[in-house]
Amino acid sequence: MRPAASLLPLLLLTLAACSNEPRPRPPGTLFVSVEQQSAWVRNFNPLFPGAGSRWPTRAGIYECLELYTPSTGGFTPWLATGHAWSEDRRTLRFTLREGVRWSDGRAFSAEDVAYTFQLLRKHAALDAGGVWRFLTDVRAEGPHTVAFQFSRLFIPGFGDLAAQPIVPRHIWELVADPVTFTNPSPVATGPFTQVSLFRNQVYELGRNPYYWQPGKPAVRALRFLAFPTNDQANLALVEGEVDWAGNFVPAVDRTFVSKDPKHHARWFPLYGSTVFLYPNTTRPPLDDVRVRKALSMALDRERLVEIAMYGYTRPADATGLNDAYAGWRDADVAKDAWVRHDAKEAARLLDEAGLIVGEDGLRRGKDGLPLTLDIEVVGGWSDWVRAGQVVARDLRKLGLQAQLRTYEFGAWQARLQKGEFQLAISWSLDGPTPYTFYKWMLSSATVRPVGEVAAANWQRYGDARTDALLERFEGTDSRDEQQALMAQVQRRFSETAPAIPLFPNPSWGEANSKRFTGFPSEANPYARLSPHAEPDSLLVLTTLTPREP
Amino acid sequence: MSYVLRRLGFYLLAAWASLTMNFVIPRLAPGDPATAMFARFEGRISPEALVALKTAFGFTDAPWHVQYVTYLKHLLTGDLGLSYAYYPSRVSEVIGTGLLWTVGLAGCAVVISFAVGTMLGVLAAWNRGGWMDSVLAPALAFLGAFPYFWLAMLALYLFGFGLGWFPLRHAYSHDVEPGLTFSFIADVGRHAVLPAASIVVATLGGWMLSMRNTMVAVLGTDTLRLAHAKGLPPRQVMLRYAARNALLPNVTGFGMALGFVLSGSLLTEIVFSYPGTGYLLILAVRNQDYPLMQGLFLVITLAVLAANFAVDLLCLWLDPRTRAHA
Repeated sequence: MRPAASLLPLLLLTLAACSNEPRPRPPGTLFVSVEQQSAWVRNFNPLFPGAGSRWPTRAGIYECLELYTPSTGGFTPWLATGHAWSEDRRTLRFTLREGVRWSDGRAFSAEDVAYTFQLLRKHAALDAGGVWRFLTDVRAEGPHTVAFQFSRLFIPGFGDLAAQPIVPRHIWELVADPVTFTNPSPVATGPFTQVSLFRNQVYELGRNPYYWQPGKPAVRALRFLAFPTNDQANLALVEGEVDWAGNFVPAVDRTFVSKDPKHHARWFPLYGSTVFLYPNTTRPPLDDVRVRKALSMALDRERLVEIAMYGYTRPADATGLNDAYAGWRDADVAKDAWVRHDAKEAARLLDEAGLIVGEDGLRRGKDGLPLTLDIEVVGGWSDWVRAGQVVARDLRKLGLQAQLRTYEFGAWQARLQKGEFQLAISWSLDGPTPYTFYKWMLSSATVRPVGEVAAANWQRYGDARTDALLERFEGTDSRDEQQALMAQVQRRFSETAPAIPLFPNPSWGEANSKRFTGFPSEANPYARLSPHAEPDSLLVLTTLTPREP
Repeated sequence: MSYVLRRLGFYLLAAWASLTMNFVIPRLAPGDPATAMFARFEGRISPEALVALKTAFGFTDAPWHVQYVTYLKHLLTGDLGLSYAYYPSRVSEVIGTGLLWTVGLAGCAVVISFAVGTMLGVLAAWNRGGWMDSVLAPALAFLGAFPYFWLAMLALYLFGFGLGWFPLRHAYSHDVEPGLTFSFIADVGRHAVLPAASIVVATLGGWMLSMRNTMVAVLGTDTLRLAHAKGLPPRQVMLRYAARNALLPNVTGFGMALGFVLSGSLLTEIVFSYPGTGYLLILAVRNQDYPLMQGLFLVITLAVLAANFAVDLLCLWLDPRTRAHA
């Protein structure tokens, strides 16, 4: 029994050692909460998109050629000061900024850019954007010009090239395998490159001594504490320990903003991907556009966003586009009726499609059996689970036997990607233009047979008329023509209803301006507030200014 | 000696069996890791990367027996592979970030809980019907019956958030330099109080009850009657005769508990943001990170087996009957 006798006083000693004085914070150090981890792993590889690299490796340590920001809808020149297409649209030239240095003092040049893209060519795993499907060559034409040769007309490819983080040739040449390289001490062009502290619970990034924007960044260092759960991260935010976060905070105005309305701010613009109810269009009766539209009209989206999303968003319109594409949205298409709640019309459409209500009040398919519809969501994702419950209830009112089925994440993904579902709730894909979004909604090129893994277009719907429109879009850089083509694509989307849009996702962002000023907001939307949103973080990190001396 | 060798042989066999299970079970789960990893980006990276990801992970469609041989070969050389969730970090490195903290926190908590609980059980049985027996034992059993998660959250809320006596998260303050200094050790201790105390409170009742019940049975035996009759001091009778003989079931249980320290503190680590291996395990499962899962299971398996082997040896020393059979 002696161990107990000696351990108890030890416990009491530690109890006595407790005191809770607020600790002084290092001045100018910005506390950020982006990733939820129990412990940090030292990885700053900007090229491998798979996972694992610490924030802000891809937009803060490393930088890209031009920054796209959905909040302004445009590109900001960054490592490149501009770009130009050749006459035949087969060559794209970027003019690089002069006077840029790597954080080890060496000069940045076109060789580095060309080398980075050659790495992607050599290691397919690094080519997340798939740029080598439309490129044939990348070449430095002098110290500040780099030329990309295209294999075909593909104007949207510019966005992928502009967004690629650029790495220094003189460092990465020596790396044996850039895919598995953890790059523990990054050499980069970004505002924060010096890993001044790295422990399992906290790491700190210091300023790049050679940063190309004089006087920037004004923030002295970034500090990241490990929070394994949303609850812990939110607690730290409310307590004022974190200056900048991108967490989902329930009832944010009451729990966070109202604690210190002068400094605590949140901005949830609807720039996140649109959440859809995906019908598997290979399965009857979901192959019938009347049925898909009827399901859509059965939904009371106003109630759905209130219940599932705490009213942080709005019902989707008939284009399915989120607010980042406000400039592209066709107002006429957006008004189409099939996304508005109209149970009577929904019932009429189902009757017309031959799904008649039987004596028991249930709708029957063409085989005479009551129609059952399973809606699949991830078990732990409470907002989607609630949305699924509302959807199921609304569909049951039409006499459909709709059931919500929750799956573990991996199982849900597998079923979605292989097309082994009836209805499922999931996200959509975004890019600098609505091109990517609609390509994965409607393009025949993205349709995979059931049983084969599809990265998106889970509904497995291809439309030949959209294919033609998208191909024309790939070949033009005239904004007016692009706009006209995209309006027609939107019209096709609304006519064919390949998937049922529910609501655009907010882009979660919270800021505490007690110690720093310059956060983006609705009044000053130079970037998204969400630190998750790349490459906006580069703009925020170079704009923030400490309040204290 | 042959007894010890037999036990050792058994443990080797058990180790092999569990390693094989480690290999099989993750592969029976639906979905594949590249898909899951891609999906984590929720559309923020291009679908073209999916193919690239699979290339990067080197997903071979090699038959299972080939994969199995490779797996065993790598294990023998101590190569646990690269983690998918923390790609491209090594599994051993990832596990290394948390192992010490988990062992320290949960190990201490289990030892304290075992020692205090067993002692309370001895006292409760010795003073049967006293306040310890009739009030403390049921009260602790009651506390232990609460869902642990809830208990831990309550402790965090009351003593961390409400009263502000203890830090809300982490194993040490982020502005303290780790090292063998008094201020660092005191800081670690301060951070460990709430998580450790919550584990102790949740498990104390179990140790106490099992010790009490065995002890009550031992107290009724002739050996004890003889000890009393010889006029030995009651303290000596209680500890050396009754408690020592009643200790066996608890020691066996202690071995199990020690072995499960690595996985069992999962909820503690989530509630208190403690940087241990428990949270890594959840993350590994969520991301279908087979190598990390296998690495963690390997460590847990070996810990359980080693602890049990140690308990076997301890029993050999405690219980003359095992020696007679050996």
